[in-house]
Amino acid sequence: MRKATGFAGMVVALGLTAAAPGALASQSRLDSAWQFLARGRYGDAEDAFRREMERGSREAARGLVLTLREVGRYPEAASVARRAELWLLLGRVLLDQGRTDQADSAFRQALNQGRADSLQAELQLAVLELERGNHAVAMGLFDRFVDFYNRGLARTSEDLAAVAAAARFLGRSDPQLFKDALRVYDEAIAADSGNTAAWLELGEMFLEKFNGTDARATFEALLRRNPRQPGALYGLARVARFEGSREAEGLVRRSLEVNPNLARARALLAEILLDRGSLDDARVEAGRALSVNPREVDALAVLGAVLLFSGDETGLEALERQVTALYPRDARFYARLAEIAARSRRYDRAVALASKGVQLDPQAWRAYAVLGINQLRLGQMAEGRANLERAFAGDPYDPWTKNTLDLLDVLDRYSVRDAGRFRLAADSSEAELLYLYLADLAIEAYDSLRARYGADLPVPVRVELYSRHADFSVRTVGLVGLGALGASFGPVIAMDGPSARPAGEFHWASTFWHELAHSFHLRLSEYRVPRWFTEGLAVYEERRARPGWGANVTPDFLLAFKEGRLRRVGELDRGFVEPEYPEQVLHSYYQASLICELLAAKHGPEVFRRMLGGFRAGKSTEVVLREVAGTDLAGLQREFEQYVRTRFGLALSSISAGGGADRPARSPAEAIAVAASRPGDFLAQLAAGKVLWDRGEKGRAEGYLLRARELFPQYGGKDSPYWYLARLYRERGELERAASELGRLTELDASHYEAWLELAAIKETLGDLRGAISALEQALYVYPFEAHVHVKLAELAARAGDWGRAIRERRAVVALGPTDMAEAEYQLARAYFEAGEVEAARRAVLRALERAPSFREAQELLLAIRAARREDGSG
Amino acid sequence: MRGAAVACGLVLAAAAPCAGQTHLVIVSGLGGDPQYTEAFYQWGAALADAASKLGVPDTNIFFLAENPERDRRIAGAPTREEVARVLSRLEGKVQGQRSALWIVLIGHGSDRGEPRLSLPGPDLSARELGQMLERFSGARVAVINTASASGGFLPVLSRSGRVVVTATRSGFEQNQTLFPKFFSEAFSGTGADLDKDGRISLLEAFVYARESVRRYYEADQRLLTEHAMLDDDGDGAGTDQPSESEGDGVLAARMFLDAGVLPEAMVADAELAALLARKDSLEARIAELRSVRGAMAQGEYEKRLEELLVELALVDRAIRERGGRDR
Repeated sequence: MRKATGFAGMVVALGLTAAAPGALASQSRLDSAWQFLARGRYGDAEDAFRREMERGSREAARGLVLTLREVGRYPEAASVARRAELWLLLGRVLLDQGRTDQADSAFRQALNQGRADSLQAELQLAVLELERGNHAVAMGLFDRFVDFYNRGLARTSEDLAAVAAAARFLGRSDPQLFKDALRVYDEAIAADSGNTAAWLELGEMFLEKFNGTDARATFEALLRRNPRQPGALYGLARVARFEGSREAEGLVRRSLEVNPNLARARALLAEILLDRGSLDDARVEAGRALSVNPREVDALAVLGAVLLFSGDETGLEALERQVTALYPRDARFYARLAEIAARSRRYDRAVALASKGVQLDPQAWRAYAVLGINQLRLGQMAEGRANLERAFAGDPYDPWTKNTLDLLDVLDRYSVRDAGRFRLAADSSEAELLYLYLADLAIEAYDSLRARYGADLPVPVRVELYSRHADFSVRTVGLVGLGALGASFGPVIAMDGPSARPAGEFHWASTFWHELAHSFHLRLSEYRVPRWFTEGLAVYEERRARPGWGANVTPDFLLAFKEGRLRRVGELDRGFVEPEYPEQVLHSYYQASLICELLAAKHGPEVFRRMLGGFRAGKSTEVVLREVAGTDLAGLQREFEQYVRTRFGLALSSISAGGGADRPARSPAEAIAVAASRPGDFLAQLAAGKVLWDRGEKGRAEGYLLRARELFPQYGGKDSPYWYLARLYRERGELERAASELGRLTELDASHYEAWLELAAIKETLGDLRGAISALEQALYVYPFEAHVHVKLAELAARAGDWGRAIRERRAVVALGPTDMAEAEYQLARAYFEAGEVEAARRAVLRALERAPSFREAQELLLAIRAARREDGSG
Repeated sequence: MRGAAVACGLVLAAAAPCAGQTHLVIVSGLGGDPQYTEAFYQWGAALADAASKLGVPDTNIFFLAENPERDRRIAGAPTREEVARVLSRLEGKVQGQRSALWIVLIGHGSDRGEPRLSLPGPDLSARELGQMLERFSGARVAVINTASASGGFLPVLSRSGRVVVTATRSGFEQNQTLFPKFFSEAFSGTGADLDKDGRISLLEAFVYARESVRRYYEADQRLLTEHAMLDDDGDGAGTDQPSESEGDGVLAARMFLDAGVLPEAMVADAELAALLARKDSLEARIAELRSVRGAMAQGEYEKRLEELLVELALVDRAIRERGGRDR
């Protein structure tokens, strides 16, 4: 990592030589003007430069052009530059407006004049050749800068920056040259730390090479000198985007306050708005950017995305033709558009767009990366890997590419197996175990969702279960650190396997169901389903699958509802991507699921298919709601609020902030006092119950816990009253009551692993074999890696004569690789034998005896198997 | 766990019991903290109890631990001098292949250039222990250092005819180990008899403890901080995956705490002796078949394996019917 150097000694070099007193005064005024510009006092700078220009100072004209350019007054800047015959500057201002032909003429004029800035003009001409698609010509021109540098012809900071820029372009073919570019940028900045353009280009290069840390340091160094520098504010906004920070919008808006015509910043704002789902606003902002500079690639890409997301294929085709005319061999538009498309889960379009990009420019490494990543998301594993390899060879700095290639190496070691319409991939060390449960679950989920949506998914659906969360994160976003549990790309589902997280932390089976539901939503909407709707519907589908699956209501959700902190229905998408408080993402999932419940209750579950169809047609949520549900966003908001009040009436009235119940009590006495003073407060009652429980005063705790349960019966969290009461009743020997509490708890929260185990034990004691079996089955959907649970389930199944289940559980024990494998294989053989699967029993007992030839019980079983085979003539 | 060559198992055709005397020295080192002092004592005591139950005479068990007054089984304080004294006493008692010496070290280890076990007073270094063991050069000796940072003991103590087990693979693994807990448990519990022959070999105890440690860490969602190693081919390079059939593990598979002695009546019964001889022969053929498994078709292998296993099952049944025990 590099650190940007500071601005120490930043004094604009103005070539002060011995001069007359009048000249010295003039120079002093110019110095002040440059200082104004350097510190972002643009009005003062303009006035000062204008006054000196009127006195005939060409330097003042240059300063004025730079000032006007920095605040986006391009026509005025061009006019001044033209009058003062500042051709290089004129060319740059014209480029800001996308007027490349005129810029070309200006740069040639600068070159012909043979002035000190001719090297920079030559660079600009080379860049224009590149944009025209004359790659060989452009590269030849860039190559000359290496000679200039080696012959010592690049002496000024500006010339050195031009050499660095040339090296950066040459890096397309040789990524090592980026290091040279970095070095020469350093030299340029060392020669003149006030060379703002060099700083900005350096920051851009860091961003281009995915180095957010140094990019941030570079832009921040500029902003310490001039907090209003629009290019640096824009650069920092991009860094913030890169880092996933919410600062981006504020920064880019600050940039546009200084320079409302900074087309790139305008395009970035448009993209931010687009990601928020505000298509109309994004279109307006992109239009503004293009009205300043019709060639602004990022703005064109955003406009393309707006057309794509609104289903305007004709408009998109026209735009593509327009872009190709502007940039005949440039992939940037397609790479950017593909990236945006992928962020909105239009993976198939991302692949198609990125493919066009690499056809236009075979050295478009970013386009190859986007192409490869999205091919992988569609399950095109070989093609995806090949394109990522190409991308990495051309640009080894892209961590997304590097991480994903590393991930593919991990995936090579995964075991892959087909089950029905599914292709299941899991870590070889646990695949055998997971397949025992996942295969049946996947088929059940598919059949259920197929019936619901009346559609099939393309086969095979690839399901990847990662044993390391970091691998899942890379698979999903290219980097580690993703908080999610699963992701659906449509034909590919990637998710944390149960070993990726501590036992009981998540319900892997319901997560799978959730992701498969997404695959149907993506399919039916042709990837146009809004985030809030597909998330809400997927949680709703979880809840339909089994009691206790899917997110459930929590006190903090109800509090957020009461305090108006939940996102309104119309902006619920933002609750997922731009949470206003940490819990808002989880609240948004639950909120969206309630909206789906409400829609289903009012219009029947078939409403969902109709809504997905509306989204497929490119209609907005507002339009879809009006057409399908006969309401609008405001109406749905009202209905949602009423629904929550009706459904959680008592609980809502029992939840409140303040009064001491929403924070840990300082002492048991305080908790009890608060509970006594607030008998209708759920949190106060629960806190008192818990504190007494922790002190061992369980009998006293019961009253508070019962009151808490009565106030908020829908609460099934890890610390719900049901959990405490169940254990209390069990300790008292009141097993029926304990089972009842646990039954209600697990109906609310099926991810409560301990509750399932407890319930199974109680059910067994009560002689409810089926109930015990059912509870353990559900426990395995939370955490399937505890051998003793499988052994218990196998024993219960055997007692119930359920040999199929017993066999599965004994296979699970073997799959867990126990130390005593001979015993595990013997027990499996017994289960097979009891089930009448004699040949399978024979093989299993041979495996047991192979390890332990003198294993008496296994020997006897072998002899019994042999006798049985003789009897039926197979042995 | 079976030894491939079945050196001292049950090749007992009317011969005198070949089991020799096992001597067990347990050193529960300096705890430094009541919690560790107690744990080291408990693990050592559990192992001493298990050995006793397995038939090791109490006079052959030397348990050195802090606070000797707390338990009459404790023979003395776990000092370097006491260790030297005990080993000196055993000179002459442990010799030849028919007797064995097990030294189990429990506690905190360190390795700042020289691997050591922390004891009250001067620590015991691997080099010093090696010197103390020189007097047992002809005997079967197993050193099981279950302490943290114990990995450095292995190359220092390794030599032909000696089993060296360490709880860690190097001196860098300095966290308190769980290996001793599970190593003791292997002899006192029920899960370590992996080949179901009724005996726990040193190799089985090692595998049991290693796997138990691994599962413990996995269940706790923690990274494994101890990697047990075993060396018994004298090359000074241990392995975490020893095998009963080749390389490291062969000798450990043949070392048992229990004596493996058959009742006199069984030894005197000629028919029973013949059955036992047949049993050993079959076991040897099964081992041989397993060793060539890779070169055979699966079906053919299973067929031949089944034939041998069925015959062995019938022989074992006959042994039991004659009032004997198959192990």
